[in-house]
Amino acid sequence: MSTMLWLLLFAPLAGSIVCGALHFAALRAARDGHAPGHAGSAARKLAGVIGCATVAASFGLALAAWGALQAPGILAVESSTWHWIEAGSFTVDVSLVADRLSSVMLLVVTGVGFLIHVYSLGYMAHDPGKAKFFAYLNLFVFAMLALVLSSSLLGLFIGWEGVGLCSYLLIGFWYEKGWPAEAAQKAFVVNRVGDACFLVGSFLLLRLFGTLDLSEIAGANFHMLGAHSGEIALAALLLFGGACGKSAQFPLFTWLPDAMAGPTPVSALIHAATMVTAGVYLVLRLNPLFAAVPAVLFTIGIVGAFTALIGASTALRQNDIKKVLAYSTVSQLGYMFLGLSAGAWSAALFHLVTHAFFKGLLFLGSGSVIHGMHDEQDMRKMGGLRRAMPRTFMTFVAGAAALSGLPLLSGFFSKDEILARNFALGGFHLGLWAVGLATAALTAFYTWRMVALTFFGEERFDRHHVRPHESPAVMIVPLVVLALLSIGGGLLNLPHVLPGSGLLEHWLAPVTRAGDELLEREGEHGHLSAAAEWSLLALGAVLALVFARRGLRAYEPGPARDEALARARPKLAEFLDGAWQIDRSYHERIVLPLRAAAARLSAAFDLGAIDAAVDGAGRLASALAQRSRALADGQVKHYALWMGMGAASLSLLWVLS
Amino acid sequence: MAEALFYLLGAAAVAFAIGVVRARMPLFSILNLLGSFFCLAGIYLLAGFPFLAATQLLVYAGAIMVLFLFVIMLLNLGDEAELERHAGLSLSGRRLFVAGTSAALLGLVGLAAADATTVFAADTLPEGRALDDLSMLARLLFSRYMLPFEAASLLLLATMVAVIVLAKRERQRTTPSSASGPLTAARQEPVESGAPR
Amino acid sequence: MSVPTDHLLALAAILFALGVLGFLVRKNVIIVLASIELMLNAANLSFLAASRHWSQSTLAGQGDPSAGPIFAIFVILVAAAEAAVGLALVIALYRLKQSVALDRVAELKG
Repeated sequence: MSTMLWLLLFAPLAGSIVCGALHFAALRAARDGHAPGHAGSAARKLAGVIGCATVAASFGLALAAWGALQAPGILAVESSTWHWIEAGSFTVDVSLVADRLSSVMLLVVTGVGFLIHVYSLGYMAHDPGKAKFFAYLNLFVFAMLALVLSSSLLGLFIGWEGVGLCSYLLIGFWYEKGWPAEAAQKAFVVNRVGDACFLVGSFLLLRLFGTLDLSEIAGANFHMLGAHSGEIALAALLLFGGACGKSAQFPLFTWLPDAMAGPTPVSALIHAATMVTAGVYLVLRLNPLFAAVPAVLFTIGIVGAFTALIGASTALRQNDIKKVLAYSTVSQLGYMFLGLSAGAWSAALFHLVTHAFFKGLLFLGSGSVIHGMHDEQDMRKMGGLRRAMPRTFMTFVAGAAALSGLPLLSGFFSKDEILARNFALGGFHLGLWAVGLATAALTAFYTWRMVALTFFGEERFDRHHVRPHESPAVMIVPLVVLALLSIGGGLLNLPHVLPGSGLLEHWLAPVTRAGDELLEREGEHGHLSAAAEWSLLALGAVLALVFARRGLRAYEPGPARDEALARARPKLAEFLDGAWQIDRSYHERIVLPLRAAAARLSAAFDLGAIDAAVDGAGRLASALAQRSRALADGQVKHYALWMGMGAASLSLLWVLS
Repeated sequence: MAEALFYLLGAAAVAFAIGVVRARMPLFSILNLLGSFFCLAGIYLLAGFPFLAATQLLVYAGAIMVLFLFVIMLLNLGDEAELERHAGLSLSGRRLFVAGTSAALLGLVGLAAADATTVFAADTLPEGRALDDLSMLARLLFSRYMLPFEAASLLLLATMVAVIVLAKRERQRTTPSSASGPLTAARQEPVESGAPR
Repeated sequence: MSVPTDHLLALAAILFALGVLGFLVRKNVIIVLASIELMLNAANLSFLAASRHWSQSTLAGQGDPSAGPIFAIFVILVAAAEAAVGLALVIALYRLKQSVALDRVAELKG
């Protein structure tokens, strides 16, 4: 049992190392001038196979772990403990724990990860860095698994940083192009801000609870810590700050749209399905901590709702298909936090899972489109692709339907659950519910705008120069699997009014019990009557259908409506184009002054002081050598003089001492 | 009396030493050095080291200085190594030489005239032996100072080898008849004879 | 002779100083060698002065009066060897450069 978890964790790491070695072999083969084909491509093919195999193995082991948890009474599968740090009273023991929450995450990460790995076999087939890609992808899976499986906040943080690193490496995968490197740096730096909050928060937690063990913190008796409520609130808020960085919430979301510079599988895996959900996972794992401070939960809700609105409104105006999806991800992550704020832990997890399905599908589908359109990403230059790429079209539509919340698909149920729970709480949460509802409408609209511009209408490209073709089977099969999951995924957690409901909720109950109890004590618990629930379901369905149809109809003829809006309301258009100009204000107010200051510091200190010192040392040595050269003039007399003076001074010293 | 002799000989030694340093030609430098050695030998006598005085005259003045003179004569080193060219001994050098030599001779004559035992009375060992009594020296050399003694013999052997190697003429490719002197092959221009007048 | 040891040592010092002066100043290598001999003699004199001093001293056991003459003999010996080698060098030098001016011998330059 315990070795199973270690294997689960380290299989992708082994794969990463092997793929890395294969990458170097491929480089050497290319350098040695073998026909671009032979030895290099064998190494790259092998790397692809190994990369997929390791993740498949991890998925199998994740299934086994989930199976082990089915047994009654088993709440967690734990591995052996590693005594990592023993520094006086501060000890950190790390072990791998697969409980009900992490088993869900494990299945998502390894399962969806596996599908994306397979997809990458096709997408990156002609890329010379294919082996490196799989090495990085495997490394990412390893880090994410470490994050999810770790029993200690410190281990979680290591995984946290590891996924950040892999995100940096993968966003900047094509760094030769220039802008991916900048995007990677931006992602890393913005994440760093979040990480700083995370660290300070964990310091506070350590001070409060004397331990960094997650289960111990979650199991702490929060009732007795009333006097420290301020510190607990601060710690929770700081951890949420870290989550904002990783999960791209306001104000730390500006990196996610730029991260689209990386290859599409990266966007699918990291920036839709897994890494960005790490923040949600963190809150879920420590749900009693957050539940103990309702004010923090409410803050989370405001931030989540606000971010959802920003994301959705910006996605309306994007022309790059991947940017639409990026802002959509930001928006949907906001939904997850909205769910968390209402104490709807399982609803947030539910949305996390369905989002992984349909957003991963949409990203992979967009990759298929881009691949077929020879790296064209601008939707204004697409159109009518459903004829040329039918399979991509159908799977993409499945994903779009799920995202927009069309009834009976997975996204419909998960989004509705979140909104319903917020509605049930009443009070301020009603305001949040309203924002969520408006955002849902926007979501449907922009999603089908995207579908219309890409697949419907007339072809806005030159048929003679650009010949769109369907993608190979290795890319289509994952799309189909994800489409099926997007359609049927709702079965995981049907609403209470339906039979077979709440599977996920019951599964997760042991983990969320403490948080639920705390919330009940504070009176933050609402209840919905069956009638209310049915009405909300109907409202959501109607809204989705109406706005989806509107979006499709408005943009089937082409992007003309966008231009009309830009002419009619230029300021509004500009405001929305740039995500409410948040990124631009960051750039102007923070980045540029910092860069200027850094340049000045560099010139003054680095060049002026340090370089000058080093150069000066060299010049000094040179000058000294110049002077000293005169001493070695070959004149024996002079040598004798120096020797005599030396002898005289020595004897003088001897006499005096 | 002995004290007066000492100061006289000391002054003469210094005068000769100045002559060594100031001489125009190497030959006069060596001759001045010779005079200085004589004076020093006298001082050694006065200080109660008769054996050392004899050794000084025999080895230093008799062998080493003669060796110097040999080399000077061999290389025919006149005043070519000096910047100024003088026909012969400069006035000051000559005077110094004469004065010094005279003083030395005077001193030695005085010594010879004096009663040896009276002069040496203060500087003897309790048994009446000289401070550098020969048998005592010999005994010491072969007992306590055996190692330096043997080492010195090695040194002399090495010196002999070194001198032979250093001063050896190089193999000439030309016919033997062209070589007429030890240094003919090396000389390229006729050297002005700087023999003292 | 009741000349105080200091005077003997002073004489030795003067001779030594003159030797050093000649050694440093003169260009002719023979004269330089002669100056070296002068220095050695000054050293000899100081050895003998010390030996005489210790043999006169009322303090018994201080210093070894026999070391003076012994050492002086060795100094003469070494001086002889050194003079021989030095003159051999002069001969070799003359063969090479046809001159014994030290300032023309700058082979060690650099």
